[in-house]
Amino acid sequence: MRPLGRVLIMAEMHGRDLIRRHAALGLLIALPLSFYLASTGPRENGAVSAGGIGMAFAVSGAALFSILSSREVDQRLVLTGYRPVELLLGRLVFLGPLGLAIGGGFSALMAVVSSPAHPWVMALGVAAVAVQSVAFGLAVGALVPLELEGTLVLIGVIGVQLAVELRSVVSKVLPFYGPRRLLASSLASKGPIVGPLIQTALYGIALLVITRIFVSRRVDIERHDLLD
Amino acid sequence: MEGGRIHGCGAYPVGHDAATGRRGDDVVSRSRPIALRRCGITPTRATTRVVATQLRAFQISKSYGSTIILSQVDLSVEAGEVVALTGENGAGKTTLLRICAGIVRADSGTVRVGGRIGYCPQIPGLFELLTAEDHLVMFGRGAGLSREEAVERGHAVLAEFDFPLNDRTLTRDLSGGTRQKLNLALALLADPSLLLLDEPYQGFDRGTYANFWDHCQAWRRQGKAVVVVTHMLAELGRADRVVELAPHPARTHHRGRR
Repeated sequence: MRPLGRVLIMAEMHGRDLIRRHAALGLLIALPLSFYLASTGPRENGAVSAGGIGMAFAVSGAALFSILSSREVDQRLVLTGYRPVELLLGRLVFLGPLGLAIGGGFSALMAVVSSPAHPWVMALGVAAVAVQSVAFGLAVGALVPLELEGTLVLIGVIGVQLAVELRSVVSKVLPFYGPRRLLASSLASKGPIVGPLIQTALYGIALLVITRIFVSRRVDIERHDLLD
Repeated sequence: MEGGRIHGCGAYPVGHDAATGRRGDDVVSRSRPIALRRCGITPTRATTRVVATQLRAFQISKSYGSTIILSQVDLSVEAGEVVALTGENGAGKTTLLRICAGIVRADSGTVRVGGRIGYCPQIPGLFELLTAEDHLVMFGRGAGLSREEAVERGHAVLAEFDFPLNDRTLTRDLSGGTRQKLNLALALLADPSLLLLDEPYQGFDRGTYANFWDHCQAWRRQGKAVVVVTHMLAELGRADRVVELAPHPARTHHRGRR
């Protein structure tokens, strides 16, 4: 129970921290919404994709800052008795459901406004964006533990994902390729579902493994031998 | 090399006993009778495990790039002893303390400890949008305390430092001194046997500052080993030993982290 208790406490504290950031909470919803609403019109397909990317920006940003804002505390928590992986899981336990909740509301809105051919596939695509965003934001925070640099990397990668065509080679190596394919499938009469889901899962796992390695390297402490 | 005497590459830094005025060469490790008198806190296994020496850092060396910070430094602290670690800026006091805490890895040398470590960093690393109680719960859980235990213990410690209890103020809105009190309370929460305090009184008002040194005496009586990094020369007499850490003589510049 103890490891689970530590994970849940970390999730709770991240939740308490974010709930007190009222502006950030508003932006988490407003950002994807503005991307989506700004793109609605004749190019309906583009609006769904843009909304998904807007959500990627918002949720990845939240994940990135959850790791950067606790940089000084993490090592001390490990000294107290937490394991680095518990700190990471605590963030996942909080951010994952948060992303899915935002995605759920956003999917409902897009289902009404954009009338996709397969609403449930679109919901799946939005959920994939949310989950992948958490993994991506955490990975960027672990790899580039500096506010400005990390933010620029995040903007750069997601921005390129938005700018390039889905079929391009560049798009295929970026983290949101799988979720974008799902969103595209939801709008077309026919499209792949399982393939993009597997792609998303594998990419997400790889990002989390990278995060795990770099977080451990950064916050783990040396446990001294005890004197006799 | 025992008894907290500091060795460098040459014969430059030595400790001296503030109480007797003896030089570090003469200082011998001594054990005091340990009275586990607690302030409403139940001792944990870590503190009841009586080990005379609580910290033994041996031949510690650390460089950042080409800058040598510590070279073959030894530090030993007994249970029931308060050691003041002094030295000019850049001497490596914080680095030595962080190595002893396990937060920084030494390039060479070994550290062994007698039990649980309580580390109070110079700059309090706290979540800005959490309350003091949130911090107590979070840090307490790491130490294996339940929510209620952590709050109870934390409040007992904070009350000793006149922290406004039941205050739901967010950490970002606390004064510097009050944040530091919380910082110190988090170090004490798990009832450690070894306290590593890096200028823990920054921002304290005069009364709290005097109170802090009184607490050092209380911790000593409880059998804790206490290392305090300090620049406050007026209070050195309240430590059992003063260990002065001089910058490495080979250092020609002061770049890099300390």
